[in-house]
Amino acid sequence: MTRRAGFIDLVLGIVTVLTFLCLYAPLAAVSALSFFQLVRLRGVMSFAPFSLEPYARLWVNDDILSALATTCFIGVVATALALVLGVLFAFYFVTARRSLGLLMQGLIFLPFLLPPIITGLALLIFFRQLDITRGILTIVVGHVVFIVPIVYRTVLVRLQILGKSLTEASLDLGASRWQTLWLVILPQLRPALIAGGLLAFSMSFDETLITLFLAGSESTLPIRLWGMMRVGFVPEINALATLILVFAAGITLAVGFMQQRAGNRAL
Amino acid sequence: MSARPLLLKAAWHGLNLGLPLLFVLAPILSFVLISFWTLDNGHIVTQFTLGNYLAFLGDDSYLSVYGGTVLLSLEVTVVNTVLASFVALFIFRRAARVRFLLLMAFVLPLFMSYIIKIYSIRGILGQRGLLNEGLMAIGLTGQPIEALLFSRTAIFLTLAIVYLPYAILPIYLALDRIPPNYLAASADLGGRTRDELLHIVAPLAMPGIVVAGVFTFVLTFGDFVTPQMVGGTEGFTFGRIVFSQFGLALNWPLGSAFAVILLGTALAAVAIAGLFLRKEHVR
Repeated sequence: MTRRAGFIDLVLGIVTVLTFLCLYAPLAAVSALSFFQLVRLRGVMSFAPFSLEPYARLWVNDDILSALATTCFIGVVATALALVLGVLFAFYFVTARRSLGLLMQGLIFLPFLLPPIITGLALLIFFRQLDITRGILTIVVGHVVFIVPIVYRTVLVRLQILGKSLTEASLDLGASRWQTLWLVILPQLRPALIAGGLLAFSMSFDETLITLFLAGSESTLPIRLWGMMRVGFVPEINALATLILVFAAGITLAVGFMQQRAGNRAL
Repeated sequence: MSARPLLLKAAWHGLNLGLPLLFVLAPILSFVLISFWTLDNGHIVTQFTLGNYLAFLGDDSYLSVYGGTVLLSLEVTVVNTVLASFVALFIFRRAARVRFLLLMAFVLPLFMSYIIKIYSIRGILGQRGLLNEGLMAIGLTGQPIEALLFSRTAIFLTLAIVYLPYAILPIYLALDRIPPNYLAASADLGGRTRDELLHIVAPLAMPGIVVAGVFTFVLTFGDFVTPQMVGGTEGFTFGRIVFSQFGLALNWPLGSAFAVILLGTALAAVAIAGLFLRKEHVR
């Protein structure tokens, strides 16, 4: 057995390492270029010595910084709305008749399962028919529609683990429904809300394909980058990208470790 | 029973069913509706017609872009599902403590900026990009290879890299659900690793593999930014045609009809996967 297993693991290992390199090469390249800029010396490309200049230039690039601020604002608002709605929908699923719960769940999962281009243009046409002009509001709605499923899912899994006994005990002991909700259930949901909220924010922060349809004159960072990419990038983009990557890695790792500690399989 | 609880109940249902109906279903219905209308002198004529769909069916260039995009997405789907199966299986066969870290390493890129990844890959593949400069520096080629960027291959590579984590996660989760005693029983009964993989792990991982395939196909088929950024004029995919109708070409009814076709293709992929899974289940 060992010899055979050793061969299989060897093949799997080689594929895994190569895949890993392909996945991380683009990320590594961006980070490397933010510290060592490419320069052309007498027609030959070479790396400039280590410098933090792109980071300094990023700090004074108002165009990028304002897009960054808009993106964060939209992310925070969309995440807050998604948290409220995710909890509502999860409660609805565990309390309503099964068929109604499944209908609601099927609908809110749709934007997650369909290609983003469909969600984006559907909302674009919908807003146009309602005579709502594109702007921050339409972007927020688009993001909420896209990130609600992730919050809903994390909260629902947690609710189902909790079961009914806590609620019943609380009601038996004389707490009102609101007291049960605020003092018993919601504190138990906190890890799910934090994890779901962080994931939702990072998805909103990165959302591009839906936002492209819904952004008016106000645009988010990915849309601004997309626009800049067509004319060519400035070095500070590499610095910005590196910072975003570190930030996203931090969020994802934090959520991952939290979920693992809670023994909570949300995904 | 007073009217108040009844009213509250109605509001509760209205909120939880109404919001998804309003913001998910109504927008989808609205573009399906528009796809049956036409554009005349920049104004939308609200008269039912199949003209937009006939325009698609009657135009060879649309059909060939559609076919080419289906093929491209299928290629990425097959390659990524195979790669993801290998990676997921490798992770699954590690000790429990290592598994989580490895899984995180492969899921992490999922949350790392989509647009920056494309930009970086573009930088690597470009005519004056890292890859060409590197190849010339070690003397493998005298001239930069032009075909790297702005080609079908570039789109294929970029899509594969961007969407791979979406395939690894469901397959790993399926593997993770296999009860450990199945594998222990197999080993106790003298099963070899190969038998174990073929007869226990593979069938139980199948739902995850199918989900991975559907995810990859649907997402790559609908992507329009990647083909535009790394495909250049070579990479005219169906998603780009749809998007262009909402930008420069500005023909919403036609674009909506194309989007309905795109949606239908995605739903067909989901349905085929569903049938496949049901068959697996019965067996």
